[in-house]
Amino acid sequence: MMQTISGLISTNRRFIPLAATAVLAFVAYGVGAIFYPGLREPQVFLNLFRTNPFLLISAIGMTFVILTGGIDLSVSGVVALTTVASAALLREGWNGWTVILLMLAMGMTLGAIMGGFITYLKVQPFIVTLAGMWFTRGMCFFISDDAIAIDNRLYRILGQTKILIPGLADPVTQQGDYISILVVIEIVVVVVAVYLAHATRFGRTIYAIGGNEQSARLMGLPVNMTKMMVYTLNGFCSALAGITLSTYVMSGHGLYAQGFELTVIAAVVIGGTSLAGGSGYVLGTLFGVLITAITQTLIQFNGQLSSWWTTIVIGALTLMFIGVQSLLAARKGGRRPAKEAGASALAIRRKRRLLLWGGSGTLIVIILAAFAINSTQITARSSDVGTPQVASRSCEIKPFRREQAAELMTEGAVITYERNGGPNCIDELYAIYQDGRIVGNDGTNEIEANVSQDDLDRLFVGINENGWFTDEMYNTWHTPCGQCYGYYLTVAYDGQEKTVRGVDGGTDAPADYWQVISLVKGVVPKFGAP
Amino acid sequence: MTQRKASFTWRKITENALFFPFVALAFILLFDFIYVPGFFRLETRDGNLYGSLIDILRNGSTVSLLAIGMTLVIATGGVDLSVGAVMAIAASVAAVMMNPVIIGLELPPDLMKFINDPHFTYAPLWQVILVTLIVATLCGVWNGVLVAYARIQPMVATLILMIAGRGIAQLITNGVRIQIFYEPYAFIGQGWIFLPFSLYLVAFVFAIAWILTRKTAIGLFIESVGINFRSSFYSGIDEKKIKLLAYTFCGLCAGIAGLVASSNIKTSDANNIGLTLELDAILAVVIGGTLMTGGRFSLLASIVGAWVIQATTTSMYAIGVPAFALQAIKGLVVIFVILLYSEQVRDFLRRLTSQKEALSS
Amino acid sequence: MAESNNHLVTMKGINKAFPGVQALEAVDFSLQRGEIHALVGENGAGKSTLIKILTGVEWQDTGTITLENEDVFIRSPQHAQDLGISTVYQEVNLCPNLTVAENILIGREPRKFGRIDWKAMNSRARQILASLDIDIDVTQPLESYSVAIQQMAAIGRALEISSAKILILDEPTSSLDIHETEKLFQVMRKLKSDGLGIIFISHFINQVYEISDRITVLRNGKLVGAYETQTLPHMELIAKMIGRSLGDFADMTRIKLESSKHIKEDALLQARGLGRSGDIEPFDLDLHIGEVVGLAGLLGSGRTEIAALLFGIEKPDSGSITVNGEPVKNHSPLESIKRGVALCPEDRKAAGIVDDLTVRENIILALQANKGWLNYLDKQQQYELADKYIRLLNISTPSADQPVKNLSGGNQQKVILARWLVTNPQVLILDEPTRGIDVGAKAEIQKLVLELAEEGKSCVFISSELEEVLRTSHRIVVLRDREKVTEFSGEVDEHKIMHAMAGGGS
Repeated sequence: MMQTISGLISTNRRFIPLAATAVLAFVAYGVGAIFYPGLREPQVFLNLFRTNPFLLISAIGMTFVILTGGIDLSVSGVVALTTVASAALLREGWNGWTVILLMLAMGMTLGAIMGGFITYLKVQPFIVTLAGMWFTRGMCFFISDDAIAIDNRLYRILGQTKILIPGLADPVTQQGDYISILVVIEIVVVVVAVYLAHATRFGRTIYAIGGNEQSARLMGLPVNMTKMMVYTLNGFCSALAGITLSTYVMSGHGLYAQGFELTVIAAVVIGGTSLAGGSGYVLGTLFGVLITAITQTLIQFNGQLSSWWTTIVIGALTLMFIGVQSLLAARKGGRRPAKEAGASALAIRRKRRLLLWGGSGTLIVIILAAFAINSTQITARSSDVGTPQVASRSCEIKPFRREQAAELMTEGAVITYERNGGPNCIDELYAIYQDGRIVGNDGTNEIEANVSQDDLDRLFVGINENGWFTDEMYNTWHTPCGQCYGYYLTVAYDGQEKTVRGVDGGTDAPADYWQVISLVKGVVPKFGAP
Repeated sequence: MTQRKASFTWRKITENALFFPFVALAFILLFDFIYVPGFFRLETRDGNLYGSLIDILRNGSTVSLLAIGMTLVIATGGVDLSVGAVMAIAASVAAVMMNPVIIGLELPPDLMKFINDPHFTYAPLWQVILVTLIVATLCGVWNGVLVAYARIQPMVATLILMIAGRGIAQLITNGVRIQIFYEPYAFIGQGWIFLPFSLYLVAFVFAIAWILTRKTAIGLFIESVGINFRSSFYSGIDEKKIKLLAYTFCGLCAGIAGLVASSNIKTSDANNIGLTLELDAILAVVIGGTLMTGGRFSLLASIVGAWVIQATTTSMYAIGVPAFALQAIKGLVVIFVILLYSEQVRDFLRRLTSQKEALSS
Repeated sequence: MAESNNHLVTMKGINKAFPGVQALEAVDFSLQRGEIHALVGENGAGKSTLIKILTGVEWQDTGTITLENEDVFIRSPQHAQDLGISTVYQEVNLCPNLTVAENILIGREPRKFGRIDWKAMNSRARQILASLDIDIDVTQPLESYSVAIQQMAAIGRALEISSAKILILDEPTSSLDIHETEKLFQVMRKLKSDGLGIIFISHFINQVYEISDRITVLRNGKLVGAYETQTLPHMELIAKMIGRSLGDFADMTRIKLESSKHIKEDALLQARGLGRSGDIEPFDLDLHIGEVVGLAGLLGSGRTEIAALLFGIEKPDSGSITVNGEPVKNHSPLESIKRGVALCPEDRKAAGIVDDLTVRENIILALQANKGWLNYLDKQQQYELADKYIRLLNISTPSADQPVKNLSGGNQQKVILARWLVTNPQVLILDEPTRGIDVGAKAEIQKLVLELAEEGKSCVFISSELEEVLRTSHRIVVLRDREKVTEFSGEVDEHKIMHAMAGGGS
């Protein structure tokens, strides 16, 4: 029995990373479902796919690039450029379909240019695609400094149509579990990618290049053409990912997708693809993306952990999978087979390494899981996890309650301060009056406090000293962000009035702005537990 | 005695490591001279020197610091993508040590009121700096162990800290952007002793690195390991220790850079400090002529490379290019540099300058 | 002698020059149908250049190539393949991560509606391998098989590609053991009887005699001659290859006999039960003062592995090493250097030179490692040492600041030798020190080895050329299949040694 199992394992050795990822995905989801009943809802599972189409599509393109032994850092720039360019064109009234086709063509062109540098000028992919990222991101801001909203019927349909799942939804009331058109696109992309990778010469040549590029050339394979096509294909995927992002957030901005390329690469690595090239599966990437999404969901459901635990967990997982990869790689190579007697000693050495890696990796994951679970208030959370907002980091920032703030100012407030967003979707508006009274309203509750005249004066001095009324303060809008809190501060003093808004995660507002925010935060009372 | 002859042939000059970076810098300065009036003006105020040139040096000091450490890492044939994240970690550690109230530490009431006081710090400055640098160095050790002992590819190994590092930095500050009010700390990035203080830091770190690599055998060992680590191993060089040293030093440099950056904006901003700076640092080293595959390196050339990048940025600002459009320009600069250094172009230039026939493929 | 329609390919008057060296000068070569033709010569003789011209990697300067009575000009590797000329290289140039079947058929896979037909591909691959008498699971990745099998796959691919007429095997047996070599020869004989013309390049003279019909000898870019294998005596072939008369051998032997008088009883290095699983079975070895010990054995018999263990490149699984009576504790190159042991490795490029560093830096590298990182040799000292050894070993270089990669192979080898001599070792292990060196320099190095022995050092001399080992060693240790088999000393009969190497029956 053991013989056949170990026999099975050794003949299918190369599937181990793929199996490991799949198992991890199932286990993570399963364990999560035990602690958070919400995960048992089918919609939550479907949301894993519904809310990450850009990650999956881009990761699949990246898989092909990494399989050839290359890398593409420009994906985040291309995605952002796609959102901005399409938003700008749509605003000018261009037809939705035309824009989509144009964006795909643009992505392919950018990919081809970089591919040309890499293939024919023989520059390292790292550097070329890095330049590409800077360039594309920069081009975003040639088009527009600010976010551009998208108001196009086609895009709205693409992004918001609910495709109800037969059997799980009621077509009459339009209630129930659904996916979106983007999910359908995702599925198509995955299927096509798997076909390309395993049933076409193009795909097998990609693997060959990753295995040994020089040999592939000597074997007469069209190495240069294939490399060009791989980068072009990735450009296509990046543009497609950008299009899905545009339909999802219905806007375009050059600041979108910061750090996106890292998440994509991590997903590919976790999916079992080796960064050295030549080994890995498209399905593995699918599971890698799933794990990323599951991690985000779990952390969001937990509610107690900050969203940046996601990055730490993903980092740890990447480490573990790299360990698995390097372990398997150690087995390869060697020009001579070991003699019978010698084989056992070599096997012992390998087993030791396997233990070391598997052990430490599992240890890390267990520690993190324990930490996460321990800081959970399980009973408190499980009741209201029925319908999470989105399986992303935090709530969307609501628009500034401008009219309300203006009203408060006419009623005698000298400072209004609004803070909204964050993982718990708060929206708190404070007004500080001339006489030191502070009133806060978060939509359901009202809260009051008082600050002495001296402290109020000192507050104004501090605000003034930090250059509040100079030209250096300016408006910013900045996503994505850390916990996504938006801050709006209006100050009336000494005959002047100024409103500044900012979002955490941005350094576009100078340090002094944050000084002022912290001064004000220091005096206003707090609403319940954070 | 076959001592090196001190002949100043054209060849000698062009093949020196500093040649191309200086040419690039000269180009940019020439551009400034033509298009930006008053770019080269220097003035003294209160005994300190100011001017656009000084701005370049000062704003480029973070990248210069990173480039020094990164040069050693790249020379061993590796790369460190995590330096930006390490900067963020360093900034967070420093900020928390000066202002721990943010993370919930209760201070006795008589100290509480000093919290926003520019003369108050919870821990003495020397402690803050020491602990921060130790933490940053440990990050470097982490990377070094992964690369040298666990034999993980450098790009992959440092990618991990790059991803997780910002999360760790956020964790240290509990997600809050901590304001730093303590004045002496701000001196690190904003102070002036005739020249900006950060420049002295750069010079100091450069001096240490130079002594370490050129006055001991370590420079030779690093180059040897980068060119061919197997041959180095056979020659008795402990390439594992050398690589560990390179990554550790790089972590230390990132820590110092983090201090400078956070003192500049008087905040610890875990999300944004050092963002994309690792890429700038790598570019600086590449401009400085160190190959990404490892081998010969020149610390001075890397610093000139950092100045090239900063000069580009400053010049663009000076002629009014909006902040983010700058990225596109940087992209183009990279492409220009790549072409300049690519084998094809170099061969072409060599063929132009020499009369001999080139080898057939 | 042969009818014109038996000639597969004829190369006439081939000239090829590279900057600074005439690689081939008026070389002729012909191959017949159904013939195994060996191409031999020392390194630098021009064999690989000739083959590169035949396979389209290089173009000849002048000369003609006739393929089956038609003049051709071979433009590129692809063109050569189209003409039916296939090559299998020593480093199996396939993709280790693809399956065996893919490696054989990729680029011409059977397809169904544009999709790869895996079933058909696998069965075709099995067919091809069956014709070579190989039966394996073709759906496994290539890297999970031994080099011998990988080579078979490479041959399979070579044959499949446009029904090859000419098969070139470049050092195919370097990584094979006795049984695998025999298997390969069986396949070659079968292909020969099918009418294929095979060019067999090898430095294993015994194998050349075993399998080939004709031998072409090149030396220094010129054709020495083409001979029927049966009618060419062994020693005459060697003499033609290295251009020496038999009389020269006697000279070397005399020098050697004289120097053996200086050998002392004391053992500088003693290895007891030293072994490493999978590399070499536990062995005993003594190296006496003033002695040159030669390791003889086929490639793969464990010679380099012994060197690696003695020098600390690999850690032993069993046994111990004692140097000057003191046991060695941490096995590492640095430790060995400190104890006075030096290794001049076999693979000059990968484990020897640091190509971008200068001659000077390469020479002092190991010495510096020994001194540690603080104790930096100042420039003056470095130049002195470098100059001393440049003169001593006659290294041809414009200056000590020349990057080592610009030197010829032979001079690079001398630089590495210098590196180790600088450390003033007591035990010097030389693994293939004369590979790729011109004939004159070879003799120099062999003499140097004996001189070092006279000075009281102990040397281990490893070479795949048995003649060399015989000439320079006082004692010969024979290895076979990763095991030390026996020792010979004093006057040795070459045949006895080859017998021991082959394990009887060869």
